[in-house]
Amino acid sequence: MNKIEISVNSATCYKNNNLIFEDINIELKNGDFMLIIGPNGCGKTTLIKSLCGIQKLEFGNILINNLDIHSKNSEYIENIIYLGHKNSLNNDLSVQENLEYLSVFDSSVGSNNFDKIKNAMDYFNIYKYKDYMISDLSEGNRKRTSLARLVLSKKKIWLLDEPLSFLDNNILDSFVSLIKRHQANDGIVIASTHYDFSKSISNVKYLKMETK
Amino acid sequence: MINILIKKELSLYFRNLNNIFLPLIFFFLIISIFPLVLGPEKTLFNKIIPGVIWITAILTTLLTSNNFFKEDFNAGIIETYLTSDVSIEIVLFIRIIVCWIFTCLPIVIFIPIVSILFDITFQSSIVILLTLVIGTPILISIGIFGSALTLGLAKNNILTPVIIIPFYIPVLIFSASAIQSVSAGLPYDMQIYILASLLTLVLPTMPYLLKYTLEISINN
Repeated sequence: MNKIEISVNSATCYKNNNLIFEDINIELKNGDFMLIIGPNGCGKTTLIKSLCGIQKLEFGNILINNLDIHSKNSEYIENIIYLGHKNSLNNDLSVQENLEYLSVFDSSVGSNNFDKIKNAMDYFNIYKYKDYMISDLSEGNRKRTSLARLVLSKKKIWLLDEPLSFLDNNILDSFVSLIKRHQANDGIVIASTHYDFSKSISNVKYLKMETK
Repeated sequence: MINILIKKELSLYFRNLNNIFLPLIFFFLIISIFPLVLGPEKTLFNKIIPGVIWITAILTTLLTSNNFFKEDFNAGIIETYLTSDVSIEIVLFIRIIVCWIFTCLPIVIFIPIVSILFDITFQSSIVILLTLVIGTPILISIGIFGSALTLGLAKNNILTPVIIIPFYIPVLIFSASAIQSVSAGLPYDMQIYILASLLTLVLPTMPYLLKYTLEISINN
């Protein structure tokens, strides 16, 4: 699936009868970068989870190439990689073991990927920590380990929830260039953030959310 | 893929050795409490010790499976499972099996020692061993299912046992009946066959059930 169009139509989500967000409309195609901006509690994380398909919507739908993402025929799950604000890392495994383990869940990485994992660790400057347990790392290095999955993966749609939290400014540039490279490869990036890092990125769309 | 999964599970268990030894120590502690409470009367004890072993095995599986997914849930790994395009049923199946190997298999291995300790006849101890080998994988699977079911709730420590113990009853009935039959000198193969059929029903379906349950729990 090379050509991808995502459209979200009047998405509305409730959790325990509380309105989280309502009437969200998004149109995205290859090469787009969408920033979801808004204050705490406006539903950024829930919206990203809905886009992953792990949060059900009350009304509205999310279509990929005109197929609902929950329908059997849609190849949505084959195309997304989701990085939540939790890092999805196992505290008792080393950086390298975590990346090996997480690449099992991503069929686009392929097998025998030792060199790829080394490259990914190099990209985010964590190769020197490769044998450290995650519990011994700083929050920022944990985030870098989590982001290294993006270098490994060949998936088209990136769903990033607060990718910048705990990251220092040195790594921000390489992260932005990673996003640009992905856009050039016809990928789609959807990221929620407090800090607008989109200055040097083209094809940016903004979604401003407000607290209900 | 499968070798990475197995390697990860094994290294996690071997790095926390108390995960292996604590269930075993717990098992021995509970079993040794019974003679203290009930007194050293041998005829009574011979009668109840198979049941005691089974109750202790149940408590051990309850405690080990109670928070099976909690750590992964807090770390966000469950979300990675559910947004993954590989079949996570295999992952869950391997995790159930490895959990059984490290929490119940040590108990099964130590049953001969317990038998000598409490003077159980050879014939009975063979049947206890057999029912435990077939029964505990079912108990562990159901326990893990309970932990998946209560994942979204903040405080679930006592809720999980309350939900899942009723599902333990069929396994218990047939195990106890097999043990009673052998001590009465009756054939016990029927009960063993029923237990085995329960195992072949529960074990292959459990990963699918778990995936579905995790999806619901995450959605809350």
